Amino acid sequence: MERLLYGQNVDRETKSRARVGLVIVAFACIYTVISGRLVYLAATSDGSQSRRGGGDIIATARPDILDRNGEVLATDVRTPSLFGEPRRIIDVDEAVELLTATIPDLNATEIRERLSSKKGFVWLKREITTEQRQQIHKLGIPGIGFRAENKRVYPNGASVSHLIGHVNIDNQGIAGIEKWLDRSGLADLHSLGFATDRQQKPVELAVDLRVQHAMRSELLAARQKFKAKAAAGLVTDVNTGEIVAMVSVPDYDPNDPREALDKDRINRLTTGVYEMGSTFKALTLAMALDSGKYTLGSSLDARHPLQYGKFKINDFHAQRRMLSLPEVFTYSSNIGTARMALGLGVEHHKAFLKKMGQLDRLRTEIPESAEPLVPKRWAELNTVTIAFGHGLSVAPLQAVMGISALMNGGKLIPPTFLKRSEEEAAKLARQVVKPETSDRMRYLMRLNAEKGSATRAEVKGFYVGGKTGTSEKVINGRYSKSKLLTSFTAVLPADKPRYLVLIMLDEPQPIAETKGYATSGWNAAPTAGKVIARIAPLLGIEPRFDLPPADQQILAATASTRTRTR
Amino acid sequence: MSMRILHLFVIVAMVLAAAYVYDIKFESTMQAERLAKLRGEIRRERDAIAALRAEWAKLVSPGRIEDLAQRHLPLKPLDAVQIDNLATLPERKSPPPPEQESDPIAALIGDADIGTTGSTNERSRP
Repeated sequence: MERLLYGQNVDRETKSRARVGLVIVAFACIYTVISGRLVYLAATSDGSQSRRGGGDIIATARPDILDRNGEVLATDVRTPSLFGEPRRIIDVDEAVELLTATIPDLNATEIRERLSSKKGFVWLKREITTEQRQQIHKLGIPGIGFRAENKRVYPNGASVSHLIGHVNIDNQGIAGIEKWLDRSGLADLHSLGFATDRQQKPVELAVDLRVQHAMRSELLAARQKFKAKAAAGLVTDVNTGEIVAMVSVPDYDPNDPREALDKDRINRLTTGVYEMGSTFKALTLAMALDSGKYTLGSSLDARHPLQYGKFKINDFHAQRRMLSLPEVFTYSSNIGTARMALGLGVEHHKAFLKKMGQLDRLRTEIPESAEPLVPKRWAELNTVTIAFGHGLSVAPLQAVMGISALMNGGKLIPPTFLKRSEEEAAKLARQVVKPETSDRMRYLMRLNAEKGSATRAEVKGFYVGGKTGTSEKVINGRYSKSKLLTSFTAVLPADKPRYLVLIMLDEPQPIAETKGYATSGWNAAPTAGKVIARIAPLLGIEPRFDLPPADQQILAATASTRTRTR
Repeated sequence: MSMRILHLFVIVAMVLAAAYVYDIKFESTMQAERLAKLRGEIRRERDAIAALRAEWAKLVSPGRIEDLAQRHLPLKPLDAVQIDNLATLPERKSPPPPEQESDPIAALIGDADIGTTGSTNERSRP
C-alpha cells in the first residue's frame, strides 16, 4: 500500500489513481458518518431540546389548585408589569409626567426617584391593565418597557382563604397550601429556570368548595347572631382523614392578603390551641371503655363534688346521684369522667392521650400548626381536669383527628388537605382503640343527640350524633365565667359514620333566644345542626327516616355483626 | 478521459448537493419560524383560556350564585324530607293523557323552536 502511494519505481498514473482512490474512500467514510448521524438525530430527537419558553416570562407559574370536584380555587392570569431602565431614559421629567398622566395612582416623586437612580432595571408598577399597557406603549417613552407576569387569582375570594393561603407579589407561596406547593419542589424548579410555563399538573385538594361555602355562610351568620369574637368550623371524612371544609372567621381575601397579618384573623383550627372542654370527655370515656375496666353498665358516683386539695370539681348539670356511664356522657358530668380517669391512673391516661396524638404537634400540608400546651408535671389533679377537657390545650384539628378515630372503628388517620382514597388512608391508619369501643362511642354520641346536651343539633333524617363542649377561657391566669369557648363535635350518620363536623365559637354572648345561656348546647350545637342540614345533601348522604333509637340501631346491629364475623 | 468524466460528475454532484442543502436549510428555517409563531399563539391562547376560566370560576362561585338566587329566585334551601328514592315512588295509576295542542308549555317551546330551527309543522297553527 505504502509502496503504491510513495514508491519511486511505480508508474505515475497508477500512483495518482491510487491517491485519488484513497481520497475518495476517506471522503466516503466521512460522509457515511455524517449521514449516519443525521439519520440518528432525525430518528431519536423529539424536539424537546429546542423547546425554550418565551424570554418575557419571569414570575413563577404556579399549578392551578382545584377542589375535589374540579372547581378552580386558584389559578394564574398573565398581566403586564411596567418597568424602567434608568440608564436608557433621556428625559426623566417627561417620562414621569407622561406615566402619571396615564396611570393616575402612580406616586410621582417615588417614580422620579427610581428613574433617576443609576440602576439598570427598576419596577415602576406591577400588574397594570392591558389598556394602560396599550396607552403607555403608544406614548413611546424610551427606557420604559413591559414584562408579562403571572398573577395569582383566587376566584372564590375569602371562602378558602385559610386553607389555600396566599402568595406574595413575586408569586411565591407564603401561607397555606400555596406555601406547601413551594416547599414540595416548586421553588427549586423555579430557581433552576423551569416552571415558567403553565403546563403543570393541577393540584387537587380534598376540600369541597360548596361545603366550604355553606360552612362559611352559616358561621358568619352564627358569629353575628351570638356576637362571638370568632367562629370556626371543620368537616372531615372520618374514613380517609380528608379535610372537606375548613373555615375560620374572621378571615381575609387572599387576593388582597394585607389583612392576613391581623392577629384576630388567624386560623383557629390549626394555629390556635384551646382547652376543648367536654369534647374531651369523649376521649376519656373511650379510654375507660377500651380498658375493659368500665362497661356501658358501669355506674359512677356523682353524688358529691369531687374535692381535690383546694380544688372542687362540680357538675354543670348536677344530678347528685349515682350515674350510669351513658348518663355521665349525656349529662356531661365532670365528676363522673374525672373518677373514671382516676380509676385508670395517671400513666394510663397520659399514654392513651399520647396514642391518640393529643400530646404532639400535629403537622399537615399547611405550614400553620401549633404545639399543644401539655402540663410539665402531670399529677393526679392534671388527670382529673384533663379528663373533662381543662388543663390541656390542643389544636382543634388535633382533637378532631382523635375523635374521628373513635368513630371510624378505632383507626387514627392523620388528616390531610389533599385527596386521598380509603386504601391510601388504610396504609397510614393506626389502630388505637378496639372496634367495639368505637361502636359504643358512636352509640353514646347518638344517645346524646336523642336525649342529651346535643338535642339542638339533631337534623331529621341524617342520624346525627354529637358532643357539646364548653370551656372557660383563661383570662389573666384565672378561668373566666363569662368568656367561654364553645364547641360542638357531630358525627353523621352515627350508625355508619362518614363525616365529622366541628363547630367552635369564641366568646359567644347569651341572647334572648338562648334564655341567657351561652353554653355550647345553645349556640354551637344549633349552628352545627344548620350546617349539617345544608351540607349533608351536598356530601351525598341519603336521608333516612323512622330509624330506631340508638341502642337498637347501633348497639344491637353492631353486636350481632361482630359476633357473626367471629 | 474517464478521469475527466468522473471529475465533471463529482463537481455537478457537489453543486447539486449544495443546492439541496441550501434548500433544506431554508425550509427548516421557515418551519422553525412558523413553529415559534405557533408556540407564541398557543401560549397566548392558553393565557386567554386561563383568564376566561378564572373569570368563569368567579362568576359561578357559590357565594355569588347564592346571592343571585336569593335576590331573583323563589327557591329555598333543600330540606331532608324533600329527598326520596325511586323505590318509594308510587306506581303511576293510569296512562298519561295524550299530548294536547293547547299545552301552554309545549306551545311556548314550539314558539321558541320556530325562532331557532324554523320547524314548519308548528308555524301553521294560529
